[in-house]
Amino acid sequence: MAAGTLIGFAQAARYAARPRQIRELMHALKRLETEISYGQTPLPEALAKVGGALAEPLRRIFLRASARMAERREATAEACWTEAVETVWPDTAMRAGEKEALLRLGASLGYSDRVDQLKHVRLAMVHLEAEEAAAREEQRKYEKMCRSLGVLGAALVVILMV
Amino acid sequence: MRLAQLYEWLPDALCGVLDRLPGPVREQLEEIRVRQDRPLEVVYGTESAFVTPEGAMTDDPDAAWRPDQGLCRTLLERITRHSLYAVEEELRSGFITVSGGHRIGLAGRVVLENGSVRRLRDIAGFNVRIARERIGCSAPVMPAIVDPAARTIRHTLIVSPPQQGKTTLLRDVARAVSAGDWRHPSAAGWRGRKVGVVDERSEIAACENGVPTFDLGPRCDVLDACPKAEGMMMLIRSMSPEVIAVDEIGRPEDAAALREALHAGVRVVATAHASGIEDVLSRPVLRELAAEGLFRVYVILSRTGGRVTHRIVTAEEVLAGRLGRQAIRSGAAPRDAPSAMAPRLAAGSGAGVPRAEADAARQIPARGGNHG
Repeated sequence: MAAGTLIGFAQAARYAARPRQIRELMHALKRLETEISYGQTPLPEALAKVGGALAEPLRRIFLRASARMAERREATAEACWTEAVETVWPDTAMRAGEKEALLRLGASLGYSDRVDQLKHVRLAMVHLEAEEAAAREEQRKYEKMCRSLGVLGAALVVILMV
Repeated sequence: MRLAQLYEWLPDALCGVLDRLPGPVREQLEEIRVRQDRPLEVVYGTESAFVTPEGAMTDDPDAAWRPDQGLCRTLLERITRHSLYAVEEELRSGFITVSGGHRIGLAGRVVLENGSVRRLRDIAGFNVRIARERIGCSAPVMPAIVDPAARTIRHTLIVSPPQQGKTTLLRDVARAVSAGDWRHPSAAGWRGRKVGVVDERSEIAACENGVPTFDLGPRCDVLDACPKAEGMMMLIRSMSPEVIAVDEIGRPEDAAALREALHAGVRVVATAHASGIEDVLSRPVLRELAAEGLFRVYVILSRTGGRVTHRIVTAEEVLAGRLGRQAIRSGAAPRDAPSAMAPRLAAGSGAGVPRAEADAARQIPARGGNHG
């Protein structure tokens, strides 16, 4: 009974966490945009700065990418970013849509001029905004349902077993 | 060793090839030319050659190692620290200076905006110029440029074609002046002078976060990455330099700033691209400065058999007109130019010499008051 309830609550928490993480990611990109346009901070430092202000697990994506850029001589910024996103992704509540937006951003990261970089960051943000709307809609629909389904499902199993 | 420092900026594959170069070549390495999908070339001493994957020298382009697109992208990302957007200003001028003072020239497709260069894209050509520090290389030149009357140095122009060691010599003159390493019999006991360096290409001082990484002596102030003409004015206004060192002059605004420095009682050491005094006199801005007698000493560098030799020409010799007339003829000037120029040269010498002397006279009592 307890296990079933927990599973239901965990699933519900994922629905609640997804829009929250997307929102945080958008704030992070906004800060990255500022670092690129006004600070002209080199990318590894900019990512470390932005990542430092974030909560787990998003923090790890930025810090990992930054660390890899600083230490690995051969890798391009794109490779470092992709590797960081792929590694940390299972720990986030986000889905394929958001991941695609981030990977697409990575393809141009650090390899074009300022105007172009800002365009790509904004594009990723628009993409994330759309995903966020969808995530909120899902949260509204399924969050409560998951919770009650967990409890009811567990009750059903208990009843059947008895 | 600065070459090791340079390796930090190069992809491993390229470092591997460079590591296999014969020792003497590595010692004298001056340029590494990376061109995408074309043979790797190195310039050393007075020679150049392609490099095979095994690090051997060859003249056969087909046997040479060819850097691919991936390597060029990695190289570009390394030297820009994954941040092309942060070096736009440098991309516009066509080179990036990395720590250690090594300058990496870039070639690719130019993006225009309103008819002027906005930036480079599709960068496929790199010229890595290795900066070398030769402390003491100014020793043979110093006695000729010291001005015993004013207890400082004369206005000096260092002249040579590219790659003959102008910047290296300028750097060491700046060091010698700021450290008081005068190498002149009557200069014993003089202190160093305050030196202001305008380092437009970050090559003279190779500053990192504003601090020179080359030895420029204890009394040096560096304006890093600053346009020359503006930088000279800024230094005069704010840093009270006694000597200003500046690289590669030649634009009209440089001349204006040099005159300003002269009137402010500041001595100038500058360099210019030219193959000899004749070339100096055929370049419009330099000719004007020479005719005014602004530079009192010319140091002409040339390299034979891997050794740099220098020749000193004084302003008086230039102004005597003997060299001047020759130059004007070779410079494809109008036929009547020589006779028109000769009186101007003579007039320039008349105006220039007393000015310099007045300068010196002005400085001596001030020094005496300070130290005596």
